[in-house]
Amino acid sequence: MFGAFLYLRATSLRNQVVHRLGRLRQPKYLLGALFAGAYFYFFVIRRVSGVGAAAALAPGTAQTAGMLAAGFICAVLCLIGLLRVAYAWIAPPEKAGLVFTEAEIAFLFPAPITRKALIHFRLLSTQLAILFSAALITIVFNRSGYLGGHRVLHAVGWWIILSTIDLHVNGTNLMLSRLRERSAHFLLWRMAAVAAIILYVAAVYLAASGLADSFLNGTGGMSDRADRLVRHLHDSAALYWLTLPFRIVLGPYLATGYREFAVAIFPALAVVALHYLWVSSTEARFEEGSIAIAEKRAAMRAAVQRGESPRIGGSKLKALAGPFPLPPRGLPEVAFLWKNLLSLRSAVFGRRTLVIALGVAGWVYFAMKPVMRLRSNSGQANAIGVFVLMGCGIVAAYTLILGPQIARQDLRNDLPNADLLKTFPLEGWRLALGELLAPTAILTAIIWLTIIGAAAALDPGGALAWLTPVVRGTVVLCLALAAPLLCMIQLIVPNLVMILMPAWYQSSRSRSAGVEMFGQRLLFGVVQLLFALLVAVPAAGAAVLVYIASYWLLGISTGVVLATVAVVLILAGEAAVGLWFLGERFEKFDLSGDTR
Amino acid sequence: MIEVEALTKQYGSFTAVSGLSLTVRPGEVLGLVGPNGAGKTTTLRCLAGIIPSTSGSVRIAGHDLAADPVGAKRALAFFPDEPRLFDYLTVRQHLNFVARIYGVADYEERSRPLLEELELAEKADVLPGELSRGMKQKLVIACGLLHSPTVMFFDEPLTGLDPLGIRRMKDSIVRRAKEGASVILSSHLLHLLQEVCTNVLILKKGVKVADGTLAEVEAQFSNGEANVSLEEIFIRATGGSES
Repeated sequence: MFGAFLYLRATSLRNQVVHRLGRLRQPKYLLGALFAGAYFYFFVIRRVSGVGAAAALAPGTAQTAGMLAAGFICAVLCLIGLLRVAYAWIAPPEKAGLVFTEAEIAFLFPAPITRKALIHFRLLSTQLAILFSAALITIVFNRSGYLGGHRVLHAVGWWIILSTIDLHVNGTNLMLSRLRERSAHFLLWRMAAVAAIILYVAAVYLAASGLADSFLNGTGGMSDRADRLVRHLHDSAALYWLTLPFRIVLGPYLATGYREFAVAIFPALAVVALHYLWVSSTEARFEEGSIAIAEKRAAMRAAVQRGESPRIGGSKLKALAGPFPLPPRGLPEVAFLWKNLLSLRSAVFGRRTLVIALGVAGWVYFAMKPVMRLRSNSGQANAIGVFVLMGCGIVAAYTLILGPQIARQDLRNDLPNADLLKTFPLEGWRLALGELLAPTAILTAIIWLTIIGAAAALDPGGALAWLTPVVRGTVVLCLALAAPLLCMIQLIVPNLVMILMPAWYQSSRSRSAGVEMFGQRLLFGVVQLLFALLVAVPAAGAAVLVYIASYWLLGISTGVVLATVAVVLILAGEAAVGLWFLGERFEKFDLSGDTR
Repeated sequence: MIEVEALTKQYGSFTAVSGLSLTVRPGEVLGLVGPNGAGKTTTLRCLAGIIPSTSGSVRIAGHDLAADPVGAKRALAFFPDEPRLFDYLTVRQHLNFVARIYGVADYEERSRPLLEELELAEKADVLPGELSRGMKQKLVIACGLLHSPTVMFFDEPLTGLDPLGIRRMKDSIVRRAKEGASVILSSHLLHLLQEVCTNVLILKKGVKVADGTLAEVEAQFSNGEANVSLEEIFIRATGGSES
C-alpha cells in the first residue's frame, strides 16, 4: 500500500513537472514564469537572505513587535480553527467524508484495501501538501527576523499546526459521520458540541478581559507592557488551562531557540499523535461522503474550466426573488443589473457566509471593545480616528485594485452565455454597461461605506478649524460621486482583457497551480494597478489645478465641488470610451476562437 | 425573410463556410443538413449575429445584420443545440429578463400559454439546475419565442426532448412558419426535415452542394430512379462521408 502510494505520488509529480516545463514553450506561460521568478527573487529570496526586519529595530522593540505579531498570528489561527470546527458541528454535510479525487475513488475504493488503509492514504496525501505549505509559509513570512530561532524549527512548527488542524477537521468529519449513522440523538450531540464551543469562547473571553486593560492602561513603554502581558498570561491559572491545548500546538512555532524548541516539540507531537489515533481508530463509513465531496470538487473544477463560477458546480443553488421588481419596459441595462445582483445574492449569501461574518464580527467586537472603552475614557479619540481612517483607506484601495478581480458578476461570468447575449438586440456598449452595473454597484457600496467611515473618523476632536460640517459633507458627497465612475473604469480592464486575450484569461482563471500561473495572475494584478494609476492621473491633475485656482476666491467647499465636477467629467469620458471600446470588441469577439 | 449573399467564414487559413447564398421567405422552413463539420452550426451562428462573418451579407427581416445588428436581432431568435441558461434565474425570472431585453410589455400574458404549451408551468419557480435537459431546452425555446420572432434559427432542436416534446416542437415550428415566420433548421434527423421543411440546403465542407424544395433536391440526386429516400439522397449528395 505504502509502495503504491509512493509510486502514484512520485510518478504524478514527475509527469506534472514535465508537463509544466513543456508548456513553458507557450509565451503566456513563459512570461508568467519569468514574472513570478522575478517576484520571488526580489520580494522573497532577497528578503530571506538579507537582514531581517528586526535588525532595523532596537532590541527591546524588536522583541515586543515579535511578541505582538506572534500573539496576533496565534489568535487568528485559534479563531480560524475554532470557526472551522464550529461550522462543521453547526452545519454538517449530509454525508461527511474524507477528501479523495475522483480517480482515487475509482481505483482505490473498489480495490482490496481496508478502510483504515484508505484513511492512511488520505493522511499521507495531505502530508505532502502540508510539508510544502509549511516550507512556503516559513519562507514568505520570515518570522525568524523577529523572534530568533532557526527557520527549519519554524517550518516544523508550522507543520505541527497545519497537521493538527487537518487531523482535527478529518476527525470531526468522521465523528459526525459516525454519530449520524449510529446515534438517534444526532441533533442533541451537535447542540451539545456547539454549546461547549460557545462556553469555551465565553470562558476565554472572561479570563482574558483584564489583559487588555493591563496592557493599554499600564505604565512604562511598549516593551514593559508586553512583558507584563506575557507574565499575566502565565500567571492566570484559568487562562493557562483554557489555552493549554492551543499553546501546546503553537509551542514549537513560538520557540525562540533550540532549548525551548526541544521542550515544546514533544507535547506537540503527542497532540498530533493523539489526533492521528483518533482519526485512524474512528469507525465511520466515509465512502459515500467522500464520493459526494469528489463529485462536488470535480463539478467545481469543470465549472471553472467552462468559465463559470465554481459555486455553480459546487453546491445546490436556491431560487430567490429578484432584488427589485423588473418591469418589462424600460432600459434593458437594468435587466442585467437585476440578473447579476440576483446571481450575487445566490452565490454569496449562504449559510457559510453567515457563520463566517458572525465569527469575524464577534471577534472584531470583542477585540475592539476594551480598546474603544479605554481610548474614549482617556480622551484619545483622535488616535482611534487615525486608526479607522487608515483602515478605511486600505479597504478602499483594495476594493479599487483587487475588487474587480473578485466581483465578477459581469461579462466574465456570462462568457458561457455569450451566444445568447450576442443575439440580444442591443448595441455593444449598452450590453457592456448593463453587465458592469452590478459589480460597479457592489464596489461602489463598499467604497461609500469607507468614505462615510473615514468622514466620521477624521478629526473627531474638532482640532481642524477648516473642517466644518459643510466642508466635511461636501467632500463626502464629491467623493461619493466620483466612486462609481472609478469602479466602472476599473471593471472595464479585466473584461477587456478577457475579450482581447481570451486564451490568457482562460488559463489565468483556471485553478491549475504552478509558478507560471501565479506569475500570470500577478501580471494581471500589476496591469490593473497601472491602469488605475493611468486613469487617475488626468483626473487627479485636473482636480488639483481646479481646486487651487478656485478655493482662494470661492472657499474650500466650492473649490471641492468644482474640482469634483472636473474629476467626474474626465472619469465619465474615460468610462464612456472604455465602455464603447469594450462593447465594440465584444460585438466582434469570435466565440469560436481559441480560448485554451 | 432571410437573405444571405456570399457568406464566408474563415478561421485563420481554414474556411468553415464558403460563399453561401440562400433565401428563406416568410412561411418557409429551410432544412440545413450536412455531415459533421460541414459548417452548419457556424452558418447558423453567423446568421444569428453571434459570430462575425468574414465576408458576405446577411439581411434579417429587411435589416442588414452588419449595418443594423440591433434591428436584425430584434426580429430573430436562435435556439442552440445545448441549452445555456443563467444558473441563478428561475424559469419565470428568465422570461422576465428576456422580456425586458426585448421590451415585451405583455410578457406575463404571453408567457402563460408558452409555459403551458411547453409543460413548464409547474416548474416556473425552479432554477435551471433542477430541470432535466429536455426541460432546459424547452425553457430556451420559451425565451426565444417570447418576443414573437419572425426569423428563427434552430440548431438540432429535438435533442433531449421526449417523444411528446418532439411532436409538439415539430408542430410548433410548422405553425409558426404558417403564421409567417422564416425558419432555418439544422439537424441530422432526416425524417424531421421531411416532416417539417419546405426546402433543403445541403452543405459539405462549408460549400452548398444542393438547394431547393425537397422535390427539386430529390430530382437532382435521384438519377432518374423512383422512390429514392432522403437518406440515400443525402449520402449521394455528400459522398457518404464526413467532411
